[in-house]
Amino acid sequence: MIEEINLLGVYLPAALAWGVLAAVLVYLLRGWLQRLPAYRLLWHPSLLELALFVLLWWGLSALADGFLYRWFTT
Amino acid sequence: MLHRHNLVRSLATLLVILVILAGIYALWLRYQVEPVTRDGKVRADMVPVAADVAGLVTEVRVADNQPVRKGDVLFVIDRPRYRLALEQAEADLASRRVALAQAIREDRRNRAMPEVIAAETIEQGRARVEELRSAAGQAAAARDLARFNLGRTLVRAPVDGVISNVSLQPGVYLMAGRPALALVYNRSMRVEGYFEETKLPAIRVGDPASIYLMGVADEIRGHVQSIAGGVEDRERVGSDGQLANVNPTFTWVRLAQRIPVRIAIDRIPANVRMIPGQTATVVVHPRDDGRSVHRSLPW
Repeated sequence: MIEEINLLGVYLPAALAWGVLAAVLVYLLRGWLQRLPAYRLLWHPSLLELALFVLLWWGLSALADGFLYRWFTT
Repeated sequence: MLHRHNLVRSLATLLVILVILAGIYALWLRYQVEPVTRDGKVRADMVPVAADVAGLVTEVRVADNQPVRKGDVLFVIDRPRYRLALEQAEADLASRRVALAQAIREDRRNRAMPEVIAAETIEQGRARVEELRSAAGQAAAARDLARFNLGRTLVRAPVDGVISNVSLQPGVYLMAGRPALALVYNRSMRVEGYFEETKLPAIRVGDPASIYLMGVADEIRGHVQSIAGGVEDRERVGSDGQLANVNPTFTWVRLAQRIPVRIAIDRIPANVRMIPGQTATVVVHPRDDGRSVHRSLPW
């Protein structure tokens, strides 16, 4: 499990790091997301971005816990 | 047509909201429920080594950060002075014994001639023998104490461990009882994880645990040895036996308190050095033994 990320000697909680990363990814994916037909199907189109952000946040945490840790230790 | 389109839109919106809630729940489980803490510390008991007798330090036999065995001499305090004190006590004892022997001889002589010597004189002689005998006993005890003090001028390590933070030099005058250097008791080395109280229900004594020191990827294996029996109640002041004095302010926003959980160390990877005070991340792996704790949701 990765609990903290060392950024130039400053230890950040992993949740913060993955959250920021997820937010940046969602921001980059926005243009592509807005072209999806599903985007027009929702009452509040930005809900899809929020959902993507939460899923990416959780997915990055799970991926890091599962794989990143093993790559770095072996 | 418009009606059906509205229904599809509503369903799609609901689905996305459910996905968001599920994601938040998964994140909450990962970061708030699993018994993991970044707030762990390597700890060991420390013995402050103090001299039992006061005096000048004449010799320091250990260097900083040196491992020592139980009974090793750490430093020496003014032996000549305490040897002189012992000699003085021995001389004192010898003179008391001479006086006692003389008194006994006088007493024996007096009692052999009761018709010549007054009864009062015989009694006085007997009392003098008793007096001198107890004085000799006193002197013997003083000699033993002087010998004991001489032994205590060699300050020995009370336990196996590592000497730490030594700045003692010969010539320093030490008061009796004042700590002169710190000895870290290696065998008591453990990790204390300060877990939020919300994570405690998942932790039980005996659960295996992984410890990661800051900056070290190798895993140290351990198990939960015990959980703190209590922490200070910060909302009230005053000691037991007095009336409760409860803080009248209560914060709107507050944090879970942290409870120390003691992790005994089972296996340390080669080349990993644990130093008391180091920061550690502690991950407890709850055993699947059918226990069930009803945990409150995020509210």
